[in-house]
Amino acid sequence: MPLDLLSSIKGARPSEAVNELFNVIKRAVPDNQSVDGFDMGANAVSINELRSDEVVRCEEDQKELIRQNFPEKKNGFLVVPKVIEE
Amino acid sequence: MVSEIGKIHQDLQQGKISCVELVERKIEELKGNTNNTANYLLDETALEKAQKVDAKIEAGKEIDLLEGIPFGVKDVYLLQGCKASASSDFLKNYDSPYTATAIKRLMDAGAIPVVKENCDSFGHGSSNENSVFGPARNAMDEKLVPGGSSGGSAVNVAKGFTVFSIGGDTGGSIRQPAGYNGVYGLKPTYGRISRYGLMAYSSSTDCVGPIARTLEDIRILLNTMSGKDPYDQTTIESTPISEKIFNSKIPALGFKVGYYKSFLENKDLDLKIKADFLSLIGSLKQLNIKVIPLDFYDTEVLVSTYYILAMAETASNLARLDGMNYGERHTAETLKKGYALTRSVNFTEETKRRIIGGNQILSQGHSEEIYLKARVLRDQILTKFNQDFQEVDAIISPVSPGTPPKIGSSLDNPLEMYMSDAYTVGFSLGGLPTLTAPIGTATGIQITAAKNKEETILKFAKLITDAAQWN
Repeated sequence: MPLDLLSSIKGARPSEAVNELFNVIKRAVPDNQSVDGFDMGANAVSINELRSDEVVRCEEDQKELIRQNFPEKKNGFLVVPKVIEE
Repeated sequence: MVSEIGKIHQDLQQGKISCVELVERKIEELKGNTNNTANYLLDETALEKAQKVDAKIEAGKEIDLLEGIPFGVKDVYLLQGCKASASSDFLKNYDSPYTATAIKRLMDAGAIPVVKENCDSFGHGSSNENSVFGPARNAMDEKLVPGGSSGGSAVNVAKGFTVFSIGGDTGGSIRQPAGYNGVYGLKPTYGRISRYGLMAYSSSTDCVGPIARTLEDIRILLNTMSGKDPYDQTTIESTPISEKIFNSKIPALGFKVGYYKSFLENKDLDLKIKADFLSLIGSLKQLNIKVIPLDFYDTEVLVSTYYILAMAETASNLARLDGMNYGERHTAETLKKGYALTRSVNFTEETKRRIIGGNQILSQGHSEEIYLKARVLRDQILTKFNQDFQEVDAIISPVSPGTPPKIGSSLDNPLEMYMSDAYTVGFSLGGLPTLTAPIGTATGIQITAAKNKEETILKFAKLITDAAQWN
């Protein structure tokens, strides 16, 4: 997929500076490990430590601030710019 | 070492200054400052809180240590009812619906936020030039950058506009500006302080941390903000550090300190910084501290591994910013064109560069060749750190390869800016606690210890600070 679509940024182009970083990694030789060898759990939280999956209602003042941040509103509701087209 | 927080606390309690006077003074200094450190002043709410502290003192009650102490907050934290812009056009008018856990813990202890501080947009930068509020300026020389991304916070502390400030550190954003402005800055162990209410840049390395003028203040603030938080499931338990660690001379004998040879072989390292760092190593040996040179990864590999993972994570984190539910919205003839227009207009060039880079990294082909390989390298860096901390108690390193550049001189060379993070990013990948102490070289030194060993860092920093004073 083209970069501008992936990033939702008009005219997105690869950067030379970022490509240089890519080249360093391409040249790097990991010690005796394939790219499939990273530890998936190194930075993950144990499933036993996850908080309960329940809805926590926020306070009214918080809701008001969320509404205040709507880019466009009508009768207290968020106005979306377009309906989904595809 | 006298705590500045402790000193102001005594002055307030003894009536040498009222809290309203103190807060007014800080706000006046911030308002008139030529270092461009303040995105938003919080004068109204701050003065209200200060009046309450004064009323308590006048009623003859004891106030808590942090009660009435004015502090600064990097403008990437949410503080209910206040603006939180991330120094971006996207969120310039965004009002925080709730307060970040770390900031709330300080406020629950009585500290008073007085300013939302200038920083690089969404934390994307090492010079504070990537800000829609304009660059902040170095505390010691206004022609120079203050470092970043928590540049405004470090300058405020250095100039005394705030008693302390709360920065955010993803790849060095507390430590490098602390070094550039001559103050202490701590990136704690990943997870020690909750990230809830900190705008996400790179979630696997984002850390909340204090910037202050004394080590004792760093200890107080770390203790206040640390702890488990149900809203951030990566948070960990930690033990508060006792004030007693500063009460006596720390014994040097038995301390084992490492340094990375590859850091000193970096071709970009300023010769004076290198000479001063080597001289510090010599002084440590004279104190009977065992100093061990260690092998480590090339700085190019560290920087590239960090930026590849950080860009991938920021592309994902900032995908939520589309102008739909909040933020500045621009409309176009189709929904997708509207998203693209909104993001193209509202993100800065550096932020766009990182988002685009992140999407490249995560796309088919690149993912296997670059992203997954960077993950493997990160694991190996972690393994190396674990091995090293079997051998030494702490690792010392320079904070930056060079001194702060002139404002405007690094904007056109992003690669040079990325490479200036050579000494900070590795410790971020490791999730290790690292302190910048304003000693040893022109931009200070970093002291790193194993995870959750902040106490070791503070003890060692005290030891060498005392030694520097004796010399």
